[in-house]
Amino acid sequence: MIASNGNHTGTFARITTGNPQADFVLGGGLPSNSINIVMGEPGTGKTIFAEQLLFANAGGGRPIVYVSTLSEPMSKMVSYVQRFSYFDADRLGTDIQYEDIGPLLASDGRAALVPWLTELIKNVSPKIIIIDSFRAIHDLASSIPETRGMISELAGLLSAYDTTTLLLGEYTADDIQRYPEFAVSDSIIQLARQPRSTRDERFLRVLKLRGSSYREGQHAFVITDDGIQLFPRLVSPRVATTYTPRADRSSLGVAGLDAMLDGGVWAGTTTLLVGPTGSGKTTVAMHFALEGLAKNEPTLYVNFQENPAQLARSFSILGGDASAMKTGGLEFLYASPVELQIDSIVIGIFDRLKGGAIRRVVIDAVGDLATAAGDPQRLHDYLYSLVQHFAVSGVTSLLTFESGSSTPSGLDRSEQRFSYMSDNVLAISLGGEERTRRTIRVIKTRNSAHDPVVRQLDISAGGARVS
Amino acid sequence: MNSQSAPSGKHAIILVVERDPHIRALEAFFLNEAGFGVEFAADGVAALEMAREMKPDIIITEVLVPKLDGLALCRAIRKEATMKDTVVLVFSILAAATRAREAGADAFLMKPLSEQRLVDTVRSLLDQRAVSSPSADLA
Repeated sequence: MIASNGNHTGTFARITTGNPQADFVLGGGLPSNSINIVMGEPGTGKTIFAEQLLFANAGGGRPIVYVSTLSEPMSKMVSYVQRFSYFDADRLGTDIQYEDIGPLLASDGRAALVPWLTELIKNVSPKIIIIDSFRAIHDLASSIPETRGMISELAGLLSAYDTTTLLLGEYTADDIQRYPEFAVSDSIIQLARQPRSTRDERFLRVLKLRGSSYREGQHAFVITDDGIQLFPRLVSPRVATTYTPRADRSSLGVAGLDAMLDGGVWAGTTTLLVGPTGSGKTTVAMHFALEGLAKNEPTLYVNFQENPAQLARSFSILGGDASAMKTGGLEFLYASPVELQIDSIVIGIFDRLKGGAIRRVVIDAVGDLATAAGDPQRLHDYLYSLVQHFAVSGVTSLLTFESGSSTPSGLDRSEQRFSYMSDNVLAISLGGEERTRRTIRVIKTRNSAHDPVVRQLDISAGGARVS
Repeated sequence: MNSQSAPSGKHAIILVVERDPHIRALEAFFLNEAGFGVEFAADGVAALEMAREMKPDIIITEVLVPKLDGLALCRAIRKEATMKDTVVLVFSILAAATRAREAGADAFLMKPLSEQRLVDTVRSLLDQRAVSSPSADLA
């Protein structure tokens, strides 16, 4: 007996979006033989999303057809798409075909769409059909109920045939309840742009995906020459049962400080270092990084205030040689605080952790991430996820945080918010009449004894030292 | 355009049991293009009656059809002496390959409709039948 996929009910075939991160968010890509809506206001990136998918799937004998309902000439579409790296001129005309049905719809109305698509299927056998803009179809009807029959016919046709459909449209959130295509669609992907300070941030969100799990929530993206670059929202890892906390200690590299921590922090833990401006947080963080290099532990230094050249100079003042540090395993990750997008920086950290070589991470400073995150809850979620990933990976991390408080007695409210997710918390304070006398105190260490005494922290040309 | 010749399937008559108008229209188009004659029944009871009269070379049936489902239709055909050798292809939205085999079907295909898979399967079934029953070769 000949059988084709007859007893296969657990999973279904997928088609790639042409964007590995979007495929990841979608649980492997869009379901094949499905009807998908990509919604978003003008300028949110719908066409780029569709074109990336289109070129990634081109070839294999059956064409992809991009159908314009807006009478946009092919020359205009091509003139924009060819600026992206995914564009392949050889695909046009055969593997990728552009069709304009604007004039047909204008003369014969929306009812002409399904017969036209039926003929397209019979004559061209398209494996993917993209209709842009589908929302414009509604402009041809005097009422929404008028389009229900047509949508039902359309869904019937497109579900019957072995093809995957994308309906692009300038839909708003209210349209989801209003227009019948949302009820018959198998997936809904929303692209949006939100103002953040003086710039805009773009987000992709999956609102519906039948028969499949997907990563919920807003996923930030940017548009580059390569198309959409997506940063899936970070979630905490499911800690494997095989996860065993490291049993060794890591030196922070500051003379006298390890003694306050019963011999250093536990390796694989996170230390929050708080202190006011000018208290020496970055100096301590650089000692931590240099100590990592001395112990042959590759270190990632994430910094938002000093670019790599400035940072290399700062390291050289502490005795580190920039080129030797790089070959020895010190890696800088810099993002301007002006353009800093928390999602991209967090993904950047994970990209560097993937290889497994990085054993230490410095984030200097968390406050810059707070500015980029926009709201405290978002920052909290990101940091918590990061810290969990560090713990599971056995990466020892140091996070600096600029404190509004300079008292050694405790943490203010914002510091407390971050301290509970850290294994160790150290606080530097400035005292004396000129506020030049630095002291350091261990606020907390998990599963370790520590010295509760407030001790002096001296910083000189040679670096930091606790006395 | 799928207008391939179908030497082994020429003049063969296919009875399609399908109630979805879109699938019926597309099946008719692609099978005709491939050189087959196509008749339709919208339910299992009508299909059984038509099959008795027409003696089709192949019956292509969906499982989910009214009155007599596609699997029951298949079992009924296997019980009738004059039709027990009729080729039955179950073409369904349901993942029912095992049940189709148990019902006596010769082949199973999962929807949606892919003209390539459908036409290839039909041709293959006709070729197999021609080998096993040379007198039935319609090519």
